[in-house]
Amino acid sequence: MFLSLIAYAAILLFLGLSAYKAYQFSKLPLHGRMELYPVPKEKGFEHGGSFYEEISWWKKPREVSHVREIVEMFKEIVFIKTLFENQRPFWWLSYALHLGIYFIFVWTFLLVAGAVSMLNGIVVAANTTSIWGLLLFYLTYITGIIGLVLVALGSGLLVLRRMFDSTLKKYTTPQEYFNLLLLFAAVVTGIITWSSDFTFGTAREVTAGIITFTPFAANGLLVLHVILVGIMLIYIPLSKMSHYVGKYFTFHTVLWDNSPNLRGSAVEQKVKAATSYRPTTTWSAPHIQAPSSTKK
Amino acid sequence: MLDQKDLRPKDLGRQDEQLIKLETYNLMPLLPPYDKPGMQPPITEPKPAWREKYCASLDGFIALDTLTRPQTKEEEDEFVRKFLSGLEKIFSDANNGILEPLLLSFEYCAKCNTCSEACHIYKAAGDNELYRPIFRSEVLRKIVKKYFTKSGKLLGGFVGADIDVNWETIARLGELAYRCNLCRRCAQTCPLGLDNSILSKEIRKIFSQEIGIAPTPLHNKGTMLQLKTGSSTGLTKPAFLDTLEFLEEDTEEKFGIKLKFPIDKKGADILVLHNAGEFIAWPENPVAFAILMNEAGLNWTLSSEMMGYDSVNYGLWYDDVQAKKIALAQMKAAKELGVNRIIVGECGHAHKASIVAGDRMAYGDTKVNVESCLPLLWDLVQSKRLKMDPSRNNFPVTLHDPCNVVRQMGIVEPQRNVLREICPQFREMTPHGVDNYCCGGGSGFAIMNSQNFPSFRDNVASRMKFNQILGAFQGKMEDASQVKYICAPCSNCKGAMRAILEHYEATEKFNLQYGGLVELMVNALVSMKKPFFEFLE
Repeated sequence: MFLSLIAYAAILLFLGLSAYKAYQFSKLPLHGRMELYPVPKEKGFEHGGSFYEEISWWKKPREVSHVREIVEMFKEIVFIKTLFENQRPFWWLSYALHLGIYFIFVWTFLLVAGAVSMLNGIVVAANTTSIWGLLLFYLTYITGIIGLVLVALGSGLLVLRRMFDSTLKKYTTPQEYFNLLLLFAAVVTGIITWSSDFTFGTAREVTAGIITFTPFAANGLLVLHVILVGIMLIYIPLSKMSHYVGKYFTFHTVLWDNSPNLRGSAVEQKVKAATSYRPTTTWSAPHIQAPSSTKK
Repeated sequence: MLDQKDLRPKDLGRQDEQLIKLETYNLMPLLPPYDKPGMQPPITEPKPAWREKYCASLDGFIALDTLTRPQTKEEEDEFVRKFLSGLEKIFSDANNGILEPLLLSFEYCAKCNTCSEACHIYKAAGDNELYRPIFRSEVLRKIVKKYFTKSGKLLGGFVGADIDVNWETIARLGELAYRCNLCRRCAQTCPLGLDNSILSKEIRKIFSQEIGIAPTPLHNKGTMLQLKTGSSTGLTKPAFLDTLEFLEEDTEEKFGIKLKFPIDKKGADILVLHNAGEFIAWPENPVAFAILMNEAGLNWTLSSEMMGYDSVNYGLWYDDVQAKKIALAQMKAAKELGVNRIIVGECGHAHKASIVAGDRMAYGDTKVNVESCLPLLWDLVQSKRLKMDPSRNNFPVTLHDPCNVVRQMGIVEPQRNVLREICPQFREMTPHGVDNYCCGGGSGFAIMNSQNFPSFRDNVASRMKFNQILGAFQGKMEDASQVKYICAPCSNCKGAMRAILEHYEATEKFNLQYGGLVELMVNALVSMKKPFFEFLE
């Protein structure tokens, strides 16, 4: 029961806090344009150009390719393309960690799917006659092993790299080591906990117990693992490890947002609202005349 | 003094007379023929009197000529208090126009250090720690954490809030904000899409908007002078009109062309907005524009009204309030003239200020359509409205990409298309297009000539550009009889080119010339009876 509560609370808080963070960013006021080329959605300007290469650009129909934008986004999310292109040695470690996290996500879903199947009488094992059970068994097995190994290697090696790289060492705060070590500890306790059965049969049974609030025997290590995972899930959206939220905004609303403020456009409405806002705080230098302090 | 390799962000608060010192032999090597001993001028040391008066304690260079050392402990405390007050404000609604990009870049840096390799200043200085893009950002984060976050107050060094904050720390940080050209090349390579230049600019903004400290050429003799007289050059309307008249006479005398600048022509299709510095430093540029536009039969005009004849907006580099005042005043001047559109001449930051930054400063009737001159120039060539003879430009030409126009606006091809058409020996520099490096004059450096700051600019900030130029002309460099032309379609970039060519005596020794795009176009005009360039005569 206790572990179930931790698991549910951690997942809900992870999702809730991440969504709240995204909501906070989305509510920030309209900012000045800060695009940086190449902007992938610029259709017809694949060389890194923009609609500003056209004469009287405001008279031309604006062609935007969301497909290219999505493809670029996909490359960034799935492969961390920018890091791959600009700093390959670091990419290997960072990508191991991130790819491992993706695998663990999939593995967790498969564990839940396996547990639900099991509760419905489907045998999830290597010798089952059910194709679904067989599929779940092997997929869980493969994704779990890959995920756990990659996250452990990625987080562990990133800690070592930060400790022994003379440059990174100077810029890494104790908190940043803590972040990586928390991931490492969460995953290593998992590896030890499930080491008795790397086909994850035990993990599936524990998952079934957790999702149905059924009490089950849990040793100290399992309790520690669940607690660590719980802390990690709650801590991630509160820390800068929530860059999965931030990165959406840095690309979509800052670097790739080049929508001009044309007459009758949605941007114009936002500009109208933004320019009528009177800030409550004012700058103090002598050359700046204090605007009205009344808030809209 | 520290070895730069040992320097850490928290060292900014140390009481050393100077944190690090640059030596020429530690800088990035230059390509031939500048790889030989004695080819590089020495770095200018600060004078003892400057050390006493200004903050020369960072790297020995002085960019902030209005930042003077306090005489009393009270003055020192007041300076720190004002900085902290401004620092708090950058995260408030006083800074709404940049809040989201700022918060993202402030919060999410993973310290992967990918940005360093993209920075021309860091690389040119021989991978110098002080100029690493995240160095300055990290100092700012440490101060914010120390004073404005609960985690910093409770956990101190654990979260990085481990810096001593005193006059020296803040003054050095102010200087360090002027060791970045705000070129945003580092942001292109950040896996999280973060932008260190935002943090550099925010530091500059705190100094200007809160403390009232900014380099004289940008503020007192820049935006303040422009708002007062109409131009950062101090050029008043009568002086501007006199200049135009002189240029008309001079053009007739030199080239036999009866040039007429249309002035304040109501209802003209196009208002051409030049950087007024061109009329003084490179008058051949506005003259070339006028020749081209007249020959193409365009319905255009210049404005002689207040704020209508100078496109510059230095506020873009250090002060959002000044930037907005200038941008709106320029829009008003164009509006009153009743033109259909503004065409911005060859000035990079003016492009960004009036087309991109100004885009969200106003709406509706207040706005005027603004575009770059480059697509128009390409159209004139492509459509054959101008008759060109490319053989007149038969010398090696390379193209510099102004960051504001190319990386930050995506105007990449029109200027290249023109050069491919009219310059038989056009060659790209490496890298080019949106990946090109800053000229080293960006964000005000080109006009900042106080104390020994030019020594930093010419030796370090422009070093990568100089190497790119040498690279583009390899095999041709040592032939001094051969003209080699750097096309820099931006006033500020031309300022930087002028400075490095003088610094390395490259025109004198190797016939390296520089200028804009329109000059090359006019030089290729079939109607021209003699070369437009003096160096071809």
